[in-house]
Amino acid sequence: MSDNDDRLAGLSRLEIPEPDAAARRRALHAAMSAFAASGEQKQTSPQGKSLAERLRSILKQKRTWIMDARIPVGTAALVLLLLPLGYQLYSTTALTPQSQTQVAASRHPAVAPQAADTAAPVAAPAKPEAEMQVTQQAPMADQSVMAEPAVPPAAAMAPMQESARAMPNADFSANIAAPASAPLARESFAPQVLAQQTMPSGDSFAHYDENPVKVTAEAPVSTFSIDVDTASYSYVRRMLTSGILPEPDAVRIEELINYFPYDYPAADSAAEPFKPSIAIMPTPWNDKTELLRIGIKGYEPPAADIKPANLVFLVDTSGSMDEPDKLPLLKRALSLLVDRMGDKDTVSIVAYAGSAGVVLEPTHADQKAKILTALENLSPSGSTAGAEGIALAYQLAEQSRIAEGTNRVILATDGDFNVGIDDPDALKTFIAQKRDTGITLSVLGFGQGNLDDATMQALAQNGNGNASYIDSFKEARKVLVNEVGGTLTTIAQDVKIQVEFNPATVSEYRLIGYESRALNREDFNNDKVDAGDVGAGTTVTALYEITPKGSGGELVDPLRYGNGEQASGSGNELAFLKLRYKLPGETASKLMETPVTQSLAVDDIAKASDDMRFAAAVAAFGQSLKDSAYGTMPFAEIADLARGARGPDPEGYRSEFVQLAETAGALKGGK
Amino acid sequence: MNDKVSVDAIAAIDEQVKRASLGDGEAFAAVIAHHYDFIYRTAYKWCGIKSDAEDVAQDVCVKLAGIIRQFDGRSAFSSWLYRITLNAVRDRQREAGRNRRRTDALALVSADEAPPDQEDAVAMGELWAAVRRLPPQQRDAVLLVYAEEMSHAEAGEILGCKEATVSWHIHEAKKTLRGLL
Repeated sequence: MSDNDDRLAGLSRLEIPEPDAAARRRALHAAMSAFAASGEQKQTSPQGKSLAERLRSILKQKRTWIMDARIPVGTAALVLLLLPLGYQLYSTTALTPQSQTQVAASRHPAVAPQAADTAAPVAAPAKPEAEMQVTQQAPMADQSVMAEPAVPPAAAMAPMQESARAMPNADFSANIAAPASAPLARESFAPQVLAQQTMPSGDSFAHYDENPVKVTAEAPVSTFSIDVDTASYSYVRRMLTSGILPEPDAVRIEELINYFPYDYPAADSAAEPFKPSIAIMPTPWNDKTELLRIGIKGYEPPAADIKPANLVFLVDTSGSMDEPDKLPLLKRALSLLVDRMGDKDTVSIVAYAGSAGVVLEPTHADQKAKILTALENLSPSGSTAGAEGIALAYQLAEQSRIAEGTNRVILATDGDFNVGIDDPDALKTFIAQKRDTGITLSVLGFGQGNLDDATMQALAQNGNGNASYIDSFKEARKVLVNEVGGTLTTIAQDVKIQVEFNPATVSEYRLIGYESRALNREDFNNDKVDAGDVGAGTTVTALYEITPKGSGGELVDPLRYGNGEQASGSGNELAFLKLRYKLPGETASKLMETPVTQSLAVDDIAKASDDMRFAAAVAAFGQSLKDSAYGTMPFAEIADLARGARGPDPEGYRSEFVQLAETAGALKGGK
Repeated sequence: MNDKVSVDAIAAIDEQVKRASLGDGEAFAAVIAHHYDFIYRTAYKWCGIKSDAEDVAQDVCVKLAGIIRQFDGRSAFSSWLYRITLNAVRDRQREAGRNRRRTDALALVSADEAPPDQEDAVAMGELWAAVRRLPPQQRDAVLLVYAEEMSHAEAGEILGCKEATVSWHIHEAKKTLRGLL
């Protein structure tokens, strides 16, 4: 029998003559005209008939369809009799299951308690869950219905501080809770979801609420940690260029803004690593309010002062990495970084999942060939758990530790955090402990469909590193070459910003973005509370939307019984900015403060700097993508605003943004 | 076959198919240009005659123009294409049979297909002719499994029958072909 098979297997080796080019042309031509013709007759003649005939012809050859009498007439008659009878029995006896609608109805109320249960231990109230359903519906419902803010800001204020602070810890629980309610929401709004083309991408994002408007008289102080992540922008770009609107939770406005370099004045020395650059201009999406920008640019030490780096690449080699935009891109990205490294730097490589273990012992970066070969030999295979990958990586980092330099683990993955520690909280604690011993962690995200954004963010934040999403070779070059300073050299640690607004001049304010980085007021002076680090040459930008007193743009009504608290500050000051940071390796923080005066404001958008206008355009872009309750702009206007604010733009990032805004506009149907 | 095509290219083609099914003429042109060779080669294996294969390929292309809008992505595009191509082959052969051309054509083992200096090739040519003479269901099963190197389950998906049915057809075919194997 196997002989037979061998003979038959020969059938796969048939020499097939090439088809005539003319025949091919003829066929394609005929098909095209048929296609055009069928498009025209589409309404009049349904095409289904011919297909049905075809499918039938494969099933039989002898008898014709009409004469096929395999179902005897007697049986048919019996069925006609029994069916109604059976139905009667079925629907009047205990056989009857709950009806569909009952099932659906009883499932809905179950969602809230379930979600609340999972969220409760981390102190996030059930409110975010309920609101998630609101925002899930929002883009699908008629856009104009969306006007009112989801929560009365005053009511939301107190819980907001609390829940926003809990956010990094809540990430995981939100992840668990989300799938429970998301499918339901999708079920009930399925047709609209399709129309909106925000298809579920398979990537997961923690839900968050936008920072609410705050009344200066009640909560004059806003405190947050800086954030140098940029992953959200590359993710959004990738989704938009493939024709899909990103999920609202994937859009983190501060990451969009911080993606772009800004030309802020640099600091003069490493001792005072940055100086804040403040500007105020009218808000493009709201003519009653103003935008306050706080920008800082990290000091760039001269090349000679750059400290040596000790990098450990912790590379995911699971089967899912076997796609052109994952492991192969990762290899090229990391070889770019290796190219930039100096003789004093060391590199090691650890793989986890698949081919687990140490791939390259700590090697000085002057042996580039050796490093590149090791990198090249990484191959994706299987999905077996890599044992203790992360522990191994930290062990190597410890082993080749450079006392006076940067020691960092760079985790590169498509979302598989199966690094040897299963419990997410234990993993974060582990990373935070290692951070305190001086080894930091950066995360590079690759690919699409498996990305676990919340975990990526949480790990990088706990590891004091940056989380970047690498969707293309260009992005790899931006992150690992152009901004390598930021990755390798930290110039200030635990940078916190606190702004106190003057109730005499500002009636309301709202921090745009930074939802996951909010701090308590008292955390500002507490040096034990961790915050983000700034790398050499990195720019960080924060925007506040402020409502000047008497502008009429207030969202919150004044209190009837309030006594209209009198401001003690100077009438010229809008706010007072305080910055805290630690120099690398120091434990005591330093304070930097400066008043924000009315004199910094311009009364016309056109008079503002390119950087200021561009940042505003990016913020508007983010809010419009999220259908923010605090204002959106037509994408065409965003593109125009950004186009006029491109400046020199040597890398083309800003021009790319203009195109992206136009793409988003087209996807949202010109809205 | 096209198993060397990169993941990227497949994704691009899937996208094109989707757009074509929504009525995009450019995408449709790209889809048939890309699949013409696949259709032709399949048709050739089934018919064994170049001009017939070209005609079948053209039939399939024209047919696709009418029905690509019904492609719903539930099965892989390639399986769907197989089904359409196999049906087109059968239609054409039925017509040819009526014209008494079919038997003549099958009796010929064309020169370009079997170089005469190779005994083995001649034997293969006979096998091919015999396989093509099998009842259509057996022939389709044998060709999908042996010429296209599919599993019985995959072939079943294309032929719209169970895996066991494919195995049965192949078993029957082997009995018929015993003299040649």
